[in-house]
Amino acid sequence: MEATTDHSLPPADVHHKIGHLTRQLHDSLNELGYADKLRGSMGELPDAQSRLSYIARLTGEAAEKVLNRVEQAKAQHDYIAAETRRVVASLVKDPVAAVAKGEIMNFLTDVERVTKEADAHLTEIMMAQDFHDLTGQVIARVVNLAATIENQLVQLLIQTAPPNAQVAAVVEPARSQHLQGPVVDPEHTADVVTDQSQVDDLLASLGF
Amino acid sequence: MTTALRFLIVDDFSTMRRIVRNLLKESGFADADEAEDGVAALNKLRNSKFDFVVTDINMPNMNGFQLLAEIKKDDKLKHLPVLMVTAEARKEDIVAAAQGGAAGYIVKPFTKATLEEKVTLILKKMGL
Repeated sequence: MEATTDHSLPPADVHHKIGHLTRQLHDSLNELGYADKLRGSMGELPDAQSRLSYIARLTGEAAEKVLNRVEQAKAQHDYIAAETRRVVASLVKDPVAAVAKGEIMNFLTDVERVTKEADAHLTEIMMAQDFHDLTGQVIARVVNLAATIENQLVQLLIQTAPPNAQVAAVVEPARSQHLQGPVVDPEHTADVVTDQSQVDDLLASLGF
Repeated sequence: MTTALRFLIVDDFSTMRRIVRNLLKESGFADADEAEDGVAALNKLRNSKFDFVVTDINMPNMNGFQLLAEIKKDDKLKHLPVLMVTAEARKEDIVAAAQGGAAGYIVKPFTKATLEEKVTLILKKMGL
């Protein structure tokens, strides 16, 4: 969102400019449908850059994982398709020899192996979709940041209002819940776990 | 292996509910239902029979901690094992979950092996 400059305003009318900017942000949030939902989230100012980097990293990793698995699965699929054509040709030519030389058994063994591997690829592709949950939570927090800025601008607007300006009462937003969502920067965040083994160790130390 | 146990998967993200449901099915737990938050989960738990709850923490309306507390103070539900599967990685949240009666805690992102291991371990402890 880019603030527009209104040259009709006197340079000293800071209050009016801030009001204009606040209105733009407010309208944008309303258009996004976030304004009401996020009104209550006015806690600490999160590190938006880290959060956006986290989203970029997670979506990038998910895409990479899916593409790797698809490439592997397609290669295996091509192999089985080629083997099927070869074994069919062999069977048509000399069925007894095809069975006797073990071609059929080898082919069936290949099919069983590739089927198992295909299932593993599909599971990994499914697991890669967890980025939707994790990034969704982070995106919500970044939008919270926009709401925070909006609130701060409203406060600034009130503080810089001319003595004769009428200012509507601002409802103090409720404090955000303490739940943080995904840890986007574990190296610089105190008292968090970074993997499942640390969770297990912590629970074990508590006797669970 | 397929068991007759019935699971309730609670998460506000449908993607994650589907992932957990599919993973449970692959692990032999095919009977599962879903709820999008703690309120919907409690409603289902009080109106139908379940054997296991897998829940997210950060959800609207009623979060996973509140759901856990409601389950543990309900005489008809308190026996249910509750496995938290969440992105909340703060130590104090993990400790709070354990002290609140959670049977297990998994941090997202997780693997199929982790989910299967924790569910199996919890069921084993319960003699199921």
